[in-house]
Amino acid sequence: MGRSPAPVGATATLDATPGATIAEAAVAAQVRCALEAVFAAVADTRADTTALLTRVAGQGRRPATVDLAALRPGLHLRLTRQELVSGAGFVAAPGLLGDVPAWLEWWQQGSDGGVRPLLLDLDPAQSAYSDYTHWDWFALPRDTGQRAVAGPYVDYLCSDEYSLTLSAPVHVEGRFVGVAAADVYLRHFEGAVVPLLQRLPGASYLVNARGRVAASADPAHLAGSLTRGPDFAAVLAAARSTRHEDLRLVPCDGVPLVLVTPAD
Amino acid sequence: MKQHRGDGVRRAVFTPVDNRARVETVVHRIGDAIELGLLADGEQLPGEMELAGQLGVSTVTLREALMALRQQGLVTTRRGRGGGSFVSLPEVPGEERLLARLSSWSTEELRDLGDHWAALSGAAARLAAQRTEPDDLKALRRTLDDLASAEDAAARSRVYGRFHVELAAAAQSARLTREQVVLQTEVGALMCLVLGDNEYREEVADRHRSVISAVQDGAHDSARALAERCVQDSTARLITLRLSMPRTVSGPRPLEGTHGQEPRSGRRDGDA
Repeated sequence: MGRSPAPVGATATLDATPGATIAEAAVAAQVRCALEAVFAAVADTRADTTALLTRVAGQGRRPATVDLAALRPGLHLRLTRQELVSGAGFVAAPGLLGDVPAWLEWWQQGSDGGVRPLLLDLDPAQSAYSDYTHWDWFALPRDTGQRAVAGPYVDYLCSDEYSLTLSAPVHVEGRFVGVAAADVYLRHFEGAVVPLLQRLPGASYLVNARGRVAASADPAHLAGSLTRGPDFAAVLAAARSTRHEDLRLVPCDGVPLVLVTPAD
Repeated sequence: MKQHRGDGVRRAVFTPVDNRARVETVVHRIGDAIELGLLADGEQLPGEMELAGQLGVSTVTLREALMALRQQGLVTTRRGRGGGSFVSLPEVPGEERLLARLSSWSTEELRDLGDHWAALSGAAARLAAQRTEPDDLKALRRTLDDLASAEDAAARSRVYGRFHVELAAAAQSARLTREQVVLQTEVGALMCLVLGDNEYREEVADRHRSVISAVQDGAHDSARALAERCVQDSTARLITLRLSMPRTVSGPRPLEGTHGQEPRSGRRDGDA
């Protein structure tokens, strides 16, 4: 558990995070790498879905749930190969499919290591949870056209887990048709990034754009709590590290997380 | 050797769970899911082995529970190829079935249910007040609006339950959320009985609005108190209704009886 002040496998470029120490820049880069691997899985799902829906459109018909079954081999592969990914799939925009009003082609890793589908009741007459379009993982990519990281949040719709969901919009012929996404359970994310945080000399943690702690090696700032004060969204937008009182804020360049660490 | 210390406690821990209680729990769980529309009319239930596995009970317990559900007319079983257990909504007025369901709860059980619920929602409100920033409140506000536009009691009850689930999620606690989801499957069917009243719906909306305000202001103590009061008031209404029912037979909850009698002939036109 000893914290080594020595720089960690320095693959980071210093100019990406001016003001940060080499060690801090390296941690930010590795956090980014961990999430980029998940985004790569999301991009694969997105590519598969775009190709599939374009093919169906070429046949001059409306897609149906049976068509989405073609996504399964790829989804299963990503779920088993990608260590951080515990759920993966394509979430259709309501009205896209001909046979159902709404649909999640969603697969999850079971505790036994098996892969199983998520089956939701999406009938608004039966379920109070049938409308999923307001969740950040759906609304952010739809509204911005960009990929997004939602959470940390309690995912009571799909997994009942405290999670991050990484998602990207899917467009066919210029029209938004849904999102490709992958779930990362926070406990797994913590396993991947807290060892990195522990190598920094000061008690450090990661927050999202709203200041919610996503992973922490600082007992005073636990995952799920809010760090109030700094404007983390502005730090991410500026893409450069900055100082806030006695803290240094280092954006994980490319993913919407900020490394918070004591400034010396 | 710590033979003596905690011996009694250990014995209690390893006492087999009362089988009757398990049967009742399964009957409640599945029965409530049907009342709430989580399981649709005509839907096939998973096979006995699978269902027993999912619910964590023995197949014997499950069979007893299915028997009780059949007697309540909520499940039919067909034999042979294509057979299995199917959800069947009896043609008795929903209100009557819900009252029968309420009568299977003793007031003490309802009080305890309310205590559990208040503990969950109160703790969730307090934590949410500490851990919430404005964007987290969007879901709760939307639910507040949905309650205002929900027409029938069942829809109101689902939305009411969703508010408490979302409150637990705003607390950033997966455990509190999971517990609240399970609790709402029990509470939801009962709440249908009191949420049909428009005046009470307004009152609930006011109470939810004040919880949201306290959470937004970071006033964690009052957020907790307001959430608890909201839940306690709902429970008190259920208990009052339960006590007003003509048949208040106490004692063990009968597995058959109260509403097992020919459910399909129970419709009475012009029923109040």
